[in-house]
Amino acid sequence: MAWYHELVSSLGALFGSARREKEMTDEIAFHIDMETQRLAEAGIDASEARRRAVAIFGGVERHKDYVRDELGTSWLRDGWNDVRFAARSLRRRPGFTAIATITLALGIGATTTLFGVVKRVLLTPLPYGEPESLVMVWSAWKGFDQTWLSHDEWEGWRARIPAFADIGLFAEGSANFDGDAPERIRSARVQANVFPILGVQPILGRDFTAEEDRPNGPSVVILGYGLWQRRFGGDPSVVGREILVSGRATTVVGVMPADFRLPLDFGASGRTEAWFPLATDAAQNGAVPGPEFPSGGSSHGYHAVARLRPGMTAATANAQLRSLVAELEQQGYMANVGFRAYVVPIEEQITGRVRPVLLVVFGAVGFVMLIACANVAGLLLVRGESRRRELAVRVALGAGSRRLQRLLLAESAVLAALGAASGIGLAILGVRLVRATAPAGLPRVGDTAIDWSVLAFAVVAGAVAALLAGVLPALQATRIMPAGELKESGRGATSGLARLRWRQALVATEVALAVVLVTAAGLMIRSVRNLLAIDTGFRADGVLTMRLSTPSTWYPDSTGVVAFWNELQRRVAVVPGVERAGAVRLLPLATEIGDWGLQVDGYTPPPNQGTPGDWQVVTPGYIEAMGLTLVEGRRFDARDDMSGALAMIVNRAFVRQYIAGGRALGTRVRIGGSDSAQAYSIVGVVEDVHHGSLVSQVKPKFYVTLAQFARAPGNTQRSMSLVVRTDGDPAALAAPVRAAIRRLDSRLPISEVRTMREIVSSAISGPRFAMEALGLFGMLALALSAIGIFGIVSQVVASRAHEFGVRAALGATPAELVRLSIRAGVQQALVGLAAGLAIALLLTRTMVSLLQGVTPTDPLTLAVVVLVTGAVAVAASVGPARRAGRTDPARVLGSS
Amino acid sequence: MNPDSPPSRRSEVLQGTLEMLALKLLAAQPMHGWGLSLELRRISGEVFDVNQGSLYPALQRMLRRGWIRAEWRATENNRRARYYSVTREGRRQLEAEIADWERTSGAVNRVLRYALQGG
Repeated sequence: MAWYHELVSSLGALFGSARREKEMTDEIAFHIDMETQRLAEAGIDASEARRRAVAIFGGVERHKDYVRDELGTSWLRDGWNDVRFAARSLRRRPGFTAIATITLALGIGATTTLFGVVKRVLLTPLPYGEPESLVMVWSAWKGFDQTWLSHDEWEGWRARIPAFADIGLFAEGSANFDGDAPERIRSARVQANVFPILGVQPILGRDFTAEEDRPNGPSVVILGYGLWQRRFGGDPSVVGREILVSGRATTVVGVMPADFRLPLDFGASGRTEAWFPLATDAAQNGAVPGPEFPSGGSSHGYHAVARLRPGMTAATANAQLRSLVAELEQQGYMANVGFRAYVVPIEEQITGRVRPVLLVVFGAVGFVMLIACANVAGLLLVRGESRRRELAVRVALGAGSRRLQRLLLAESAVLAALGAASGIGLAILGVRLVRATAPAGLPRVGDTAIDWSVLAFAVVAGAVAALLAGVLPALQATRIMPAGELKESGRGATSGLARLRWRQALVATEVALAVVLVTAAGLMIRSVRNLLAIDTGFRADGVLTMRLSTPSTWYPDSTGVVAFWNELQRRVAVVPGVERAGAVRLLPLATEIGDWGLQVDGYTPPPNQGTPGDWQVVTPGYIEAMGLTLVEGRRFDARDDMSGALAMIVNRAFVRQYIAGGRALGTRVRIGGSDSAQAYSIVGVVEDVHHGSLVSQVKPKFYVTLAQFARAPGNTQRSMSLVVRTDGDPAALAAPVRAAIRRLDSRLPISEVRTMREIVSSAISGPRFAMEALGLFGMLALALSAIGIFGIVSQVVASRAHEFGVRAALGATPAELVRLSIRAGVQQALVGLAAGLAIALLLTRTMVSLLQGVTPTDPLTLAVVVLVTGAVAVAASVGPARRAGRTDPARVLGSS
Repeated sequence: MNPDSPPSRRSEVLQGTLEMLALKLLAAQPMHGWGLSLELRRISGEVFDVNQGSLYPALQRMLRRGWIRAEWRATENNRRARYYSVTREGRRQLEAEIADWERTSGAVNRVLRYALQGG
């Protein structure tokens, strides 16, 4: 029953507080009256009796507090009173309040924004059913760490790896959505089991059937949500309708959910927006039907995703793959090329690369938050200094030290609430900024959004800030002894200096944290510079690219395709501003390029190894337009057409590996395994160009012209990137070049309009993101520390005014006084600098995976950090220190 | 010792006892706070100089627990005062505390006697 009484009493106290207060006052007044009367009757003088009655009772107000405490609601009502009081006193000091609020808002805003990113990228489950049991399946062999599967491997793994519940293939491609506004979009071909494996269903319509997923099956498509909204206005009746895709009548059978992406669509190259049945079989792939493997090898060209059986892990799957591959190798399949097959958990596949970047940046923003809290704690301490007398009077009037602590904590809580509110505002802006500038290479970052959990994080961050910033000043307040405090004359110089130590420690901490951030930022700046300094082998400036495809519906044979590109290049070349134009199969730094087996005269590969060459198909003009450096020989020109002698250009790596010591020019090369294939003659050698990433190993590569590639090996290259070089702004050429294409063939969709600069940038998006974030946070940290140093020097100057007056009277020059004051700030900076460097050396080791060509102990970076921090410390000290120089001995000494 | 902490060390030790004594006195007749403090001092032969500052919080505590109830009544001198009386629950509590006290004090006495004999 006790709880019942407690509750009623508490509620009664809460709602009837005015009545309760009056009753309490009346009761105590009655008691004092009666006691006075008793003492008076005992013969004590009336006024003395009253004094004693009150004294026996103790402080009346304090006593009321005790009774209130027993009401059981005091914390609530007192809390509210404290908050009101804190708000009032903060309003009286708008400057202090503004600085503290802005500081906290910056800390909370930055931290919340980054939490939003981390939550979206690392904490939000992938848009698949039970993503934890999904894996990507890869093949690997010499020179290829992570590459496609063959049809044979798919059938083999499906039948013979017990850990897989199912495994499905998909391949990326592109499709033209024809009509009034033709559009070229990235698409993929998927086996019918891929969506079920991923655990995702269309929101409209249905999955592909097995019937549709076989060679020469019906033409069907499942649309992406964005495409469905954009092209069909979100019309549900589009399901079942026939539309024209790449010149073929195709039935829409479904629409996928808005957040659906294929597992490889989270990376730099954007997302696929329409899916077709893979519709292939062993025969089409030249593969052995069923779970058997051919001896030798097979052609690899598919991505694979698998669902693990319940209880199976990626490790079990990998172990099973290892033993099966060992067995296959014995039988001669992919022998002696170091063939491997392995799985990667889908989450690691998608976010594995961005995780270290994000964790480093999130750690950095935590530091900013700590600095902000330390700064506000410092501000509150100073404020506590100036309020000591006020607080002492409160103690003398009977306020308990608990009460004072609560009051001061309430103040930091109100500040933190203001900071959190503005911080949420900043975070909303921050998230917009992140979305607008999200580097394409960082998966999911662009999907960052503010939701309830992010808001909750901001509130928690605010609460933590209130505690961190408020506890120290509140504890200081408990030391207040009214007698000592009130006796101390207005000067209070020496005791103020003693308490200064807390602030000094805070400022040193701030500087230390800032030094860690600035060091990390410095290392990233060096890394990005190193990445940018890598010789790409081409000149990225002034190059515009866009992708075009010539579908077989309108260009049935290679003659038509070659004629189209010749005409297009002729027309683009005369657009004002264009220097050179050309076309290429895959732009440099494109993710995967693939290779052909070659036969190079005079080169015999080691047993059981091929002579692979990355293949590029270009038009004459490409080498000049991309600015590839010619090492020897000649570039392609008009003679390298369909009827000319077969001419090939190779890269340096090709020469190094296959023609070591010999003469490259004139060496004959056959594309494909057949001896009867026509041989190309090497006519030129160009500098190496990276594919995949800037730091990837460059493999032997060959270039042939579009016209001649159609003769040997006889394939028509249908998708090409147009490459246009200008001496002006490449982006400005986009419109006129598009217009030129449209005049030639208005049916052709144009996609991926990008400058080479953008492509290079996105190749270093991870390190660059880390650099920008760390740089921003490092500057923020330095600025906050500077405020801290500024504050401490001001305080030193103010509290030592008397001493300085004496010094000035004894003949100290203003310059000496200024130096003395600056020393106060620089001392703390030096302590912080030393501690910060030590911490930085410990922490920056975790960044090694992000660094390029620089070690965490890079002396140049550390030296710059020391210089910058020192300069900031001196700069922040100079302002307040100059006041010390103006000390007027007469006034200072006269005032005491 | 912190001068700010509410009840003195002695009254803290006696806090439970104070409640028991107050309940006992109020069980005999309803009283106001001042009367109660007077009675406590008188009956204990001035041994318990009840800090009047701790009496009212104790009353408030007992009110909250439902052991006593309060009402405003006129005194003999026709002044308004707040009279406290014991509830049923308060009587049960009193009996429990007395029993508890007797057990404890009996045990303490036995220990003291034993210690005296043994020493």
